[in-house]
Amino acid sequence: MRYLRLIVHFARASFQEEAAYQANFYIGLLHSLLNLATGVLGVLVLFGQIETVNGWNLAATSALLGVYLVVSALRSLFLGPSLEALAGMDGEVWTGQFDFTLLRPVDTQFLASFRKWHPFALFDLVLGLGVLGVAVTQLSQALTATHLIAFLVTLMTGVTILYAILLVFAGLVFWSPGILFTWVFDGLFQMARYPLGLYPGWLRLVLTWVVPVGVITTVPAQALTGTVSVEVLAGSAGLAAALLVGASVLFRFGLRRYASASS
Amino acid sequence: MNHRGGLALIRATWASWLQHRGFFFILAFGWMIPPLIYLLVWSTAAGARTLGGLNRSEFVAYYLVLILVNQLTYSQTNWTVGDLIRYGQMNRLLVRPLSPLYDALASEVAGKVVYMVFDVPIVAALALILRPELHLTPRNALAFIPALGLAWMLRFFWGYWIALLAFWATRADALLAVQDALIFLLAGQVAPVALLPVGLRSAAIVLPFRYMVGFPVEVLTGQLDTSGLWTGFAFQAGWLVIALTLSALVWRVGVKRYSAVGG
Repeated sequence: MRYLRLIVHFARASFQEEAAYQANFYIGLLHSLLNLATGVLGVLVLFGQIETVNGWNLAATSALLGVYLVVSALRSLFLGPSLEALAGMDGEVWTGQFDFTLLRPVDTQFLASFRKWHPFALFDLVLGLGVLGVAVTQLSQALTATHLIAFLVTLMTGVTILYAILLVFAGLVFWSPGILFTWVFDGLFQMARYPLGLYPGWLRLVLTWVVPVGVITTVPAQALTGTVSVEVLAGSAGLAAALLVGASVLFRFGLRRYASASS
Repeated sequence: MNHRGGLALIRATWASWLQHRGFFFILAFGWMIPPLIYLLVWSTAAGARTLGGLNRSEFVAYYLVLILVNQLTYSQTNWTVGDLIRYGQMNRLLVRPLSPLYDALASEVAGKVVYMVFDVPIVAALALILRPELHLTPRNALAFIPALGLAWMLRFFWGYWIALLAFWATRADALLAVQDALIFLLAGQVAPVALLPVGLRSAAIVLPFRYMVGFPVEVLTGQLDTSGLWTGFAFQAGWLVIALTLSALVWRVGVKRYSAVGG
């Protein structure tokens, strides 16, 4: 309960900070709409030429795009801004400002993960849910309660995997201040815009097991269309749990290396 | 015009950028991903068929050439010119006895060298794995060289006049983001222009964006007949004249407004 109350305070403080810059609001609006337009048109152009590819049709691929937009919005809502504040040459670990995070009487990993919010991403979240909603009405089969529950569970799993990956990068900052891991990951994460089935076999394996960005969007979209098997459900939940534990251990291990500024 | 000074500046920038190549390699990696995604998606979609007259190996050839052309014509200088104006750092360039255009050209040349050191081996490796099919004729190879040169100049000067709007508006770089989105849609990245739906295709042929990336790629991969080739060059040259005029005009009027302070 105390943690939930803290999150509300963090979000409110971030909102007040952001509301001070009005021009940025309109530019953010422009960026969100461009992102939506390029994503939707990309899918429409592809399926203007072809009916289905490896079992993915226009509706299913649009649903996946919706999942991608929702997950990206959640990332820029709080995970990204909070964890990325640690990295880089002017990041908190390098400059020693991380002292102030460590001194607070709450769990450090909680604080490092939830303290900075980017409320504008709520708009992206709405756009993503809109794409998802439209896509669901176009699916050939009706949405059943089982599919919906499976979707919500796999979406949670996907967000957990994303959080674990970002936490690993944040943990690595204690060894090297670079922000470069995140940039490489951003490139690979873009591949989650399209279903794993649209990539060649070797890349499918990489995007499932090495950098599991494919699991983050493909599995929830499959859950919506009812094409996900119980094994995949269990497997991705297991992967999420293992990654979360591993990432937390690495983060705590990294914390012990922190020696304040000019180390 | 002090050309010797200009050449010295170009050489110095080139040497300094090669020292920080790790950072620039990561940037190049990020720019390579979107065309790579569409390479994989379209070649999977084509499978054993042809889509819009292209088979799987021809899609691979088209996008591998596009990755190189996109990088060669991409002008990251356009993003930094605006910052120079906003933060008042243009002073340093204006007091030099050579045109500030040389500063932009120096980072252009340095960038191309560094990015090609990264891109060429990767594209070569991808070509070995994915087996592209390129029917190269002497006519197409010969026409490709001016098409690529004009494409670079057009993309550079089109971005330059937009970036120079920073003399009037502090957030003019939002327009550069719009330009990038339009290039993504209309310059043959999301799909070869011939595969776009009719409305988008007509827009692509009339607007300048196709002539910044897609046109040289279509020339080299032999998608254009003789009349298509000449109309393409006519549009490209016409838009280049407009871009050069606008750049000169905006520079002349804008530099008088420049107040040498940030804000």
